[in-house]
Amino acid sequence: MTDAELRASLWLTLVTATSAVLCGVVGGTPIAYLLARRQFRGRAILSAVLDLPLLIPHPVAGIALLLVLGRNSAVGGAALDAGLRIIGSPIGIALAMLFVSAPLYVSGAREAFARVDPRFEAVARTLGDPPWRAFRRVSLPLSLRGLVAAAVVMWARAVSEFGAIVVITYNPKVASVLSYDRFTSFGLSEALPVAAVLAILALVPLTLLRALRYGRTAADMGWSGDS
Amino acid sequence: MIDLRGVQARLGAFELRDVSFVVPTGKYGVVIGPAGSGKTTLLETIAGIRPLRGGMIMLDGRDARGLPPEARKVGFVYQHGYLFPHLNVDENIAYGAASRETARDAASRIGADGLLGRSVRGLSGGERQLVAIARALAARPSILLLDEPFSALDPRRRVSVRREVRTLHREWNITVLQVTHDFTEAGLLGDVAILLDAGRVLQSGPPERVFREPASPYIAEFLGAENVLAGTVHHLRDVAPDWATGDDPTLDPSARGRHAIEFRAGPLTLYTVGDAAEGPGYAVIRAEEILLSTQPHPSSARNVFRGRITEVASSGALTRVTVNVDDTPLIAALTTRSAEELALAPGQEVLASFKAMAVHLC
Repeated sequence: MTDAELRASLWLTLVTATSAVLCGVVGGTPIAYLLARRQFRGRAILSAVLDLPLLIPHPVAGIALLLVLGRNSAVGGAALDAGLRIIGSPIGIALAMLFVSAPLYVSGAREAFARVDPRFEAVARTLGDPPWRAFRRVSLPLSLRGLVAAAVVMWARAVSEFGAIVVITYNPKVASVLSYDRFTSFGLSEALPVAAVLAILALVPLTLLRALRYGRTAADMGWSGDS
Repeated sequence: MIDLRGVQARLGAFELRDVSFVVPTGKYGVVIGPAGSGKTTLLETIAGIRPLRGGMIMLDGRDARGLPPEARKVGFVYQHGYLFPHLNVDENIAYGAASRETARDAASRIGADGLLGRSVRGLSGGERQLVAIARALAARPSILLLDEPFSALDPRRRVSVRREVRTLHREWNITVLQVTHDFTEAGLLGDVAILLDAGRVLQSGPPERVFREPASPYIAEFLGAENVLAGTVHHLRDVAPDWATGDDPTLDPSARGRHAIEFRAGPLTLYTVGDAAEGPGYAVIRAEEILLSTQPHPSSARNVFRGRITEVASSGALTRVTVNVDDTPLIAALTTRSAEELALAPGQEVLASFKAMAVHLC
């Protein structure tokens, strides 16, 4: 790959998407666990708020983020004062990716936790584990495959995001913005290589997901290697 | 000690209501009840897995309200084991064990040592139960809650594991509360029987008493009493009659001073003693209390009825014989050998007799 701009764009896409996923996993896992395990007041509202980014058009999500994080907003102004530029920087890209793709992780992780019978954790508690240790020793390993699958889906969604990013940070360009930019500036032939690389990139999470799903089915049916 | 006072808990629409009973320290309690009566919810509430909505739970003298499950020193064995599938048998047993030796000791005492090193995915239901029991015992709990822990074991293994659990319970002074559907198991293991239905305790006490003196016809039928007759109680005298105060050495001393009672159930009139109030009631006679004979012979039995056999049903060593007495069926249980010696057959006329003390009124 000799196209330096494409290489830089791909690298930026991978770094920002991975950062967004890491933030999503750290923040989303406890929320997903709470939603799967606990009944509390406001649970339905929290679920609805979390799903909202999935339903609104992504340029609208970008505009909403611009309002909250722009230089004239309280958050954006404070960040600028602290020397942190959000809009027009990789941080803005990662935040846009996080905003639109985190609901997919939370939803997948919630399902993964819900699939684990809470009685496993109950047994661990009666065997002396406080809640955090029971989670770490039992619930987490039992739902790990589902959590990884949810993170892969989130990563794939983050990599393919365009609408929200283009509003917040046109430059530096992530792969999806570069592909759009080449298409509008130079036509189909210039956009094709970028599109092809993005398509190949999309195969990676797809293959991973298939492998994870096959593994889960095999394990559920008692075909796993340790039986 | 497990001491429950007015316990209330909820699981969805199901509620445990005003559950109270005591299993003294080092004793073995059994919870009996139909499916959906709240047995598992009860154990989970005691373990702290389900929140307590009312009442009090005292465990070994400590108020358990507010204590998380890990602080209650309670071992829990679910019917399906709930072995951690990502750990092998050794790791499961050692999960909460005080030491490696404790884990090995528990595994060998329960007979799960032959399973060490294996993955839990390949275990049968019975093997899973063995590992789950060993895992709970390895943590050396002071209270052990068992939810039908022997149900998947084959009959031979069930006897040996049941015996070993009973032995460990005595040796380690563990207070046990076990859910079972098996009345024989309840009678064999239990020091205290608790009868649960629809989230409420119907009756509790020594199993012998619960089985022999059910508090209601519903309990009697649930516990498998074959002869439950509806009728009317009439007091004959205020003190026990001559046949209850005589020198019959088998006479229950507690009968003295009670009312002599005539119980009319349709065409049948039964004689008994007790403290039942006059009026409508039920008489319960266990099938094994009814004797059958083909010839009249002198005996101390006050209740003797002539009837005709309508059914003889043998199952192994026991035979159940249904005798029609004035259109009222009485079921007697006797050994198959006795039934064969008497050559009992449908249509045959026999005498069914039972002592006054065999009749329990409720």
